[in-house]
Amino acid sequence: MENPWLASALWIGLALVASVLSIWVAMSVALVEIVVGAVAGNLFGLPIAPWVDYLAGFGAILLTFLAGSEIDPQVVCRHFWSAMSIGVMGFLAPYAGVLLYAHYVAGWAWPQAQIAGIALSTTSVAVVYAVMVETGYNQTTLGKIILAACFVNDLGTVLALGIIFAQATVWLAVFAAATALALWFLPRFAPWFFSRVGHRVSEPETKFVALVLFFLGGLASVAGSEAVLPAYLVGMALAPAFLKDPELPHRMRVVAFTILTPFYFLKAGSLVRLDAVIGGAGLIAVFLAVKMATKFVGILPLTRTFRFGRREGMYTTLLMSTGLTFGTISALFGLNKGIIDQAQYTILVTAVIGSAVVPTLIAQRWFQPAEAPPKAAAPAEEAEHV
Amino acid sequence: MFERILHANDGSEGAMKALGAALDLARRHHAELHMICVEELPSFPATMDEVREERMEAQHRFTQVIARAEALAKGQRVRLHAHVLAGHPVRVITEFAREQRTDLLVTGFMGHSALYNRVIGSTTDRLVDLAPCSVLVVK
Repeated sequence: MENPWLASALWIGLALVASVLSIWVAMSVALVEIVVGAVAGNLFGLPIAPWVDYLAGFGAILLTFLAGSEIDPQVVCRHFWSAMSIGVMGFLAPYAGVLLYAHYVAGWAWPQAQIAGIALSTTSVAVVYAVMVETGYNQTTLGKIILAACFVNDLGTVLALGIIFAQATVWLAVFAAATALALWFLPRFAPWFFSRVGHRVSEPETKFVALVLFFLGGLASVAGSEAVLPAYLVGMALAPAFLKDPELPHRMRVVAFTILTPFYFLKAGSLVRLDAVIGGAGLIAVFLAVKMATKFVGILPLTRTFRFGRREGMYTTLLMSTGLTFGTISALFGLNKGIIDQAQYTILVTAVIGSAVVPTLIAQRWFQPAEAPPKAAAPAEEAEHV
Repeated sequence: MFERILHANDGSEGAMKALGAALDLARRHHAELHMICVEELPSFPATMDEVREERMEAQHRFTQVIARAEALAKGQRVRLHAHVLAGHPVRVITEFAREQRTDLLVTGFMGHSALYNRVIGSTTDRLVDLAPCSVLVVK
């Protein structure tokens, strides 16, 4: 489709269909956009023009930035050792397990196996958070440790994605130095700048953040790294400022979810090939099983070390076996860079979607902690009116 | 006959009709009346904010529903205990009914579109199946 406005109408039309469907079935709009993209891609083939690539790429960067900005540094500091060790093992165990399986058993080349390992090492902070809110565990120490560990886990994923495929050139040093400088400077400068310019229709704060993300993303790209790495780190650096002023990330989310992330998730879905899903069903199931098994190997013993109860330990491990956004970002990175082919991409993305659904259902059905937090004692969760 | 009545309210007109029946039953039987509203969260969300916004939207809607229900209860001189919980409506309502040892669940016809109801089944269908007590569906 040559006409950019008609092409835009097609993409935004699909995004609208996905939004309405997501409300109708009460599921995440991101997941529905992937499915709608997959259906459209397999039925009539979605044309991916360069400007679609650009919007999708910016969507992924902004999504990663916003994910990083949701971290509460005080919680991580308060539960540093438990969150750090569970998060690190939550990344390392599935990364190594899937990497080795993909290379030695599935016969994938090392770079392809690396992408598989990274894509399936993730944890979905948002899925975990939704389950916590449902059960009331977001108010408890256990819940806060799990959430903090999820951030550490995803940090491992973006670091791996950003470092493993980078080339050791002078540009990598420049990128590392610029990122380090930005991480030091931003928490000091940004709150002052945001307070000076205030909330305006012209959105100077959003433009400032976009400037930083584009600049560091550009350096990352030149260094052979990935733009989501600085985006996540900058998000973490600005998290305290965003916690104080939640209006700003809210407005950025509106921008992202209206016109950027739909292009990313629809594109991610449109590249999934139905024949590859059918042909690779066995491998998809095995990858999912390896991810879950290795999460158990890595995390469950640590939950014992930190004196979680048996059910709490199982619950934590299962929740940390979930994954969605960073899994698809990693797989798409591999496809865009020509590291994996479309069939391998399909297998990984389908396994990632499975990892958002299967562990959550198992955790909620069989391993909800025996002593649920008393709902009446959690005022934010329940209001009694007489 | 009924000592503890639970009314599930999703803010629809059907639910408000069911509330009328629940208030009437509670008054006649001198029963304790609880009303539960469930914030339905998106399954498998991509960001934490998606969850937060869904909750804020539901809380805003249910504040109005609770105010309206309380006014109706006051008119009938019935004490109404309102609860707002998050999660999947069927699971949350049935678990709450079990925890509260409810004798009767009163609900309106809570459904989706005709197609969704036909293919997946309505919320009311599943409540009738899974509730640990008698269920009165008001149409």
